[in-house]
Amino acid sequence: MEKVCVLGAGSTKYGKLEDSITDITIQASVGAIESAGIESKEIQAGYISNVFGIADKQVHLGPVVMSNLGIPERPSLSIESACGSGSVSFREAFANVAAGFYDAVLVAGVEKVTHTGTEWTTTYFSYCSDFFYEGGAGASFPGLFASMARAYLTEFKATEEDLALVAVKNHQNGFLNPKAHLQKKITVDDVMKSAVVASPLKLYDCCPFSDGASAVILCSEKFAKSHSKNYIQVIGSGRGGSPATLQGRDQMTTIPSTKIAAEAAYKMAGVTPKDIDFAEVHDCFTIAEIVDTEDLGFYQKGHGVEAVREGRTVLNGEISINPSGGLKAKGHPIGATGVGQVAEVFEQLTGKAGQRTVKNAHIGLTHNFGATGASCAVHIFKSV
Amino acid sequence: MKQEFIDIVKSGKVLVKKCTKCESLHLATVYFCQKCGNKGFENKILEGTGTVATYTIITVPPAGFEKYTPYAWVVMKIDGYDLRISGFLGGISSPGQLPVGSKVKIVGYDDRGIILEKQ
Repeated sequence: MEKVCVLGAGSTKYGKLEDSITDITIQASVGAIESAGIESKEIQAGYISNVFGIADKQVHLGPVVMSNLGIPERPSLSIESACGSGSVSFREAFANVAAGFYDAVLVAGVEKVTHTGTEWTTTYFSYCSDFFYEGGAGASFPGLFASMARAYLTEFKATEEDLALVAVKNHQNGFLNPKAHLQKKITVDDVMKSAVVASPLKLYDCCPFSDGASAVILCSEKFAKSHSKNYIQVIGSGRGGSPATLQGRDQMTTIPSTKIAAEAAYKMAGVTPKDIDFAEVHDCFTIAEIVDTEDLGFYQKGHGVEAVREGRTVLNGEISINPSGGLKAKGHPIGATGVGQVAEVFEQLTGKAGQRTVKNAHIGLTHNFGATGASCAVHIFKSV
Repeated sequence: MKQEFIDIVKSGKVLVKKCTKCESLHLATVYFCQKCGNKGFENKILEGTGTVATYTIITVPPAGFEKYTPYAWVVMKIDGYDLRISGFLGGISSPGQLPVGSKVKIVGYDDRGIILEKQ
């Protein structure tokens, strides 16, 4: 297996964007190409993730992106795995570079939905669940994670105020991120007084619907060394699945696919959770970040909430969780999120993260899933 | 199989498949045993009664559910079995009305999916 590296990264700002889905994907891709210091013609394949291209009248984005990058003859794969599309796509790219099929590839993710409004997004996002049992019976995504939150609050010593602390922390980090969707600090009181979306989750427990695109250049170590000194290595890659429904799981306070993916990634990397300096985890809702930090092995089941309460997961705390602001504050353009997490790790480990830099960091982890964790990917990176 | 499952839900019961190899139970929409991979099943019909395993009360609904809002979406543990089924439960506006552990039952199926009610 070839050693695989990230050579460059680019992102648009996340938020409400005016440009088309195609334009923002290309903007992020050009950013990644320039960051990598390569010519577009050196890209041998493209992996383009997106969920609701239909909302901006463009599906099958792959060839459109490749053509506009001047490489129409190169193969591309257009990938959908709900909110996990970006990391699932990244994994396929990783596997192909590791196998030696390609020396350098583009991985780009995008979403453009804010123009559709809350009802459209709430409805269409619910199609990412097992619709017969969940979306079709009125379960929105906030509702599904609210059900996990209710189970967690019932089983462990945790309160709605504890959940709010996750939002406060991630907004604090997002405030330092010039590309974040929500660059404002909030308080526990702001969260508690925000409108209930799906009890016990309130508006500020939920990530926003965002537009945005992110892209990275993934390549062999040999290719990386011949082009730049500014690259990071992918040392672990893991995938996993969970029952598609919440009812299909023995426990509703854990996401099985996270554990499976993390175990595989740690094993490949030869590291343990204690070796991770910072992690970009899938905090689509505040409860998700607490569950994630437990399933990833940073804290024991039921104790993730204490870590948040004691401030151990803040920027430059015991382990920095979501230094970018996470989905909660950086934003969640669902097809882009998993790629955007890799872009954040690249910036952190190559000294480009500015005010939100995790000090003395050498190993970063990304964790991204689709739906309620029905599909999941975990990746581990180290500086070189 | 899905239509048969729906027809039985309409009568307040749940069609499940019992694995002939490891005896684990699945809702009837599963075609291979999730525990052992076996394809052989015996059909079994369970009473659609149970308790709330977890739930939410939705105030920002997807399209089609506006007129029912607020309503609960519930994961119900089926009485006597290690098996859960989820569905819509109307007329709930505050958490105090539906604590975890409350007794609920399946009463039908329509454009709101599987319909539950408090017992």
